[in-house]
Order: sequence, then C-alpha cells, then structure tokens
Amino acid sequence: MNRESLLIATLVELADNLVDDYDVIDVLTVLSLRCVEAVDVDAAGVMLASPVGELQFVASSSESMTVLELFQIQTNEGPCVDCFRGGLAITNHALSESDGRWPLFTPRALAQGFRAVHSLPMRLRGRTIGALNLFRTHQGALTDDDVIVAQGLADVATIAILQHRSSLDAQTLNVQLNNALNSRVIIEQAKGMICQSTGCDMDDAFNRLRAHARNHNEGLTSLATRVVSKAILSRELDEWAKPVSA
Amino acid sequence: MILVDDIKDIKTSDELQHLPRSTPRLSTVHDGWWRACRSKSRSPERDCWGRVTVHRLLDIFTLMERFEREHSEGFALCAVAAEFMALDGAGIALANDGDDLTSLCTSNRAAGALMNLELTLGEGPAVDASRGNATEDTNLLGASESTWNAYRPEAVALGARAVFGYPVRVGAIRFGALSLFRNSPGPLDSGQSSDAFLIASVIGRAILAKQAGGSTENLVGELNGAAMLDFRVHQAAGMVAIQGSMSVKDALVMLRAHAFGIGVELSVLAGRVVTRTTRFDSESQEWVGDTEGEANEM
Repeated sequence: MNRESLLIATLVELADNLVDDYDVIDVLTVLSLRCVEAVDVDAAGVMLASPVGELQFVASSSESMTVLELFQIQTNEGPCVDCFRGGLAITNHALSESDGRWPLFTPRALAQGFRAVHSLPMRLRGRTIGALNLFRTHQGALTDDDVIVAQGLADVATIAILQHRSSLDAQTLNVQLNNALNSRVIIEQAKGMICQSTGCDMDDAFNRLRAHARNHNEGLTSLATRVVSKAILSRELDEWAKPVSA
Repeated sequence: MILVDDIKDIKTSDELQHLPRSTPRLSTVHDGWWRACRSKSRSPERDCWGRVTVHRLLDIFTLMERFEREHSEGFALCAVAAEFMALDGAGIALANDGDDLTSLCTSNRAAGALMNLELTLGEGPAVDASRGNATEDTNLLGASESTWNAYRPEAVALGARAVFGYPVRVGAIRFGALSLFRNSPGPLDSGQSSDAFLIASVIGRAILAKQAGGSTENLVGELNGAAMLDFRVHQAAGMVAIQGSMSVKDALVMLRAHAFGIGVELSVLAGRVVTRTTRFDSESQEWVGDTEGEANEM
C-alpha cells in the first residue's frame, strides 16, 4: 500500500473509531501503530499531561518493557518534556553519547538501539495537552512530508482526548486527562495479572486484552477493569497469535 | 506563613536551595528536590518537574505540618484540603470492601454534616466520585433536577451552594473520594481544578501509606521523585494479586508495606517483582527472593 492509501485508510479507521463510546487508550494505540507504518519510524507513543502538568505515558506502538521504560524516564527530561513545555515540535534530533541535553533519557534510548527521536505537540486552541513521541533505529531524517503527517496524527490524537467538546473549560479538560491517565493504570494492573496467570510477557498480555476487547465489542478499559476485579479470568480471554513478520 | 510566600517567588532550583529550613521534614524535601533538580538540569535556569507542582506540593506539606500538630489523632488531610483549595470545607470518604463508604475525616462541622448526609442518602459528590469520575454541582440552587434530588435541598439547608467530588483511586483500585464545598455558587478556577487533582492524588498516597502501616512522614520523601507512580508498581500489583490470591488493592498495600519493611522505594520493589526476582508466596504468605539488595538464593 503506498503512503497515501495507507493514510486514507488510517484516517477512515480513526474516524470510524471516534464514534459513540470509544476507548481512548485503544484509539491512541491504533494511532501509534499506524504512525509507525506511515512515517517510517520504529516506535511511536503518546504522553499526556496530568491536570498538574506531569507527563505520563498512555499509549504506544509497542508494550515491551524497554519501550515503556523510555516513556517512564521522560518524567522530568526528554524530547516529550521539551516539546510539551515549549509547545513546539522537535524533529530529527539525532541521539549521541556526547549529547548532554537529556542525560537520563539519551543513554537508555541509545541502549535500545534508537538513533533519532522526534516529538510533536498535541495542541488545540492554544493549550498543549501532551506529545506524540517517535523513535527511529535507522539513520536519516524525516522529510517535511513525514513531519506534516506525524503532526496531523498528533492533532487527531488531541481531538480523540477532547471528544469534540466545544467548551474547553479547565475542569472538563482535566477530567478527560485524568480519566485517560487512570485508564492506562487500569491496563497496567490488568497486564500484571494476565502475565502472572498465563506466564506470557507484558506485550502479549496487552495484545490479548486488546484482541478480546475488539472481538467482543467491549471497551479496552472496561475489559481491563473486569480483569482487575476478577470478574473475568485471564484464561477466559481470547487467544492472540503474534502476526508472522515479513 | 513565610515559607509558602518564599516558595512562590522561586524561579530557579538554585533559589530553592537557599530557602530557610523551617522544619527537619521540609528540610528533607528541599534537599531531595534540590539534589534531583541539580542532577537533572545542567543549566540552573531550567526548572525541573513543573515549577507549579513543586510549589503546590510544598504548600501541601507545609499545611500538613501545621494541621498535624493541631489534629493529633485522625487524618489531618481534610483540613489541609479545605485550606489548600481555599474552600469552605472538605471531607474524605473511605471505600471499604464492596460498595460501602465510611467517613474518614471532615474538616469542620458543616463538612461533617454534609458527609453524613450523602452517606446516609447514598447520593452526592463523594458517593458519585467514589464509583466514577470527578463530579460537581456548581449551583445547588439551580433549576437542574437531574441528579441528587434528595441531597441537594438538604445540602442547601446546611449552607452549601457548590459541591465538588474527586475520586481517590489508583487505576481500578478505589480508595474513596474527596468532597469539597463552598458556601457560594460557581465553578472552581483553573488553578483550583489542578489543585484538586493534586491533593486527591496526595490523599491516595497517604491512605496507601497508612494502610500499609506507614505514616505520612514517609509521604514527603516518597513524593520526592514524582507524584505519579512508576508503571511497574501497577504491573507488580496485578502480579501480586494473582500470586497471593488477593485483590489488587490488597496487593498494592502489601507491596507498600514490604517496601517500607525492607527500606526500599516502592518502584524499586515493583521492579524486582516485575523482573521476577521477588514474588509473594501464597502458601507461606511471605515474600520470597531478593530482599534488601542481597543476592538471590533461590
């Protein structure tokens, strides 16, 4: 599929998702996955600001521990933090050991094999609510078109959080953000239970949750809540098969 | 309150370093944060961790110092919440097993009466927030009849004109709710809105610390790093819930208690659980594996 077709399919998919009671974490996960495909990066993830302004991970193209750690470390420093605080995109920042800009983040990102990072602000009507973070293992810069596409996807992510509210009073926005962040916590709690029950890794635990939720037309967070309350046991979740990589 | 006024003028982490150290506990906060700021930023001009959050957390801790002296028993955080939010009263409802809610504390007589009212009626800001999301009625005298039809007139009779409820939760773990009221109608301003979420998360951490056998002394040091919990803590709580055949809430409390017991940070213990270096053994009801940094002997 060429990029244009992929983008159109992605936008249709997202528009289809953003109706009725959609699950914010699921939509942002889809967005992160499609971002990796569309923009030629190797990992993508969304960080949102809590009502007090702390950035927190909410969704990613990969749930592996190493990727999650790269988001966890970006509490006080990192491309997401700089992008969020400044409200401006960071593009094509090549990582190197001698770079002292992010002394905790950079070595860890390099250790994971990433060589460049980008961060696009999630902004609407003058308020930045988070950042879309992209990681790349291979060299080379993102083109201007790539950046436009990535920013467009970041804008869709912002709309997904704000749910078309016409009035953006602080309380409404804070409730939305707090709910999204709390949903991610529920999913992490469920992942832990599924891992312990079935012996799978965290990535597979998430994929099982997501697959079961989609198969049964249930919200991802709603299902995760049922797993945590033990209303549904891990072994009752649908199986999920890792797709064969090309 | 000189300390709080000084803090509002801080522009850089270097200035934070030179604040008067009014109490040993706050001194620890300053030292810790100053060290954290210094290690994370090369240039002194760059503040770390959102200047506003640092200030507001220090304000909370300062109020806790003051009110804990006045409330020698019980939970001072209600009085702290009301003062911090500049509202007329606050109450904290505690969620027990099932849907049962009890009053943990209230900041004054009116707050106590309002809490009793909503717990008796089973409707109101804390009741709703304990089960769902943040909620509010910014004008109890208003025409809307959709919610709290039994609660609203009684709350008005007690003097309240606006009420706000915030969940106190960690993911699917519900500790309870914070309820706040004002004697005049109107919404919270944007600063108050952020403050409410901040104090709700501090209350959650305080309840967790207390249920784990710790005290709010630990809280200051615990929040030294970040207000939000490491994702591994949530995964570990899920794992321990299965390992120990217990609820996720009990698992989180067990984790907190064990971390206190062996003198490590909660996130460090959680990391050990997630990498399967440490686990909770259901049969022996004990923690097994790497403890206190010693080599794994399993």
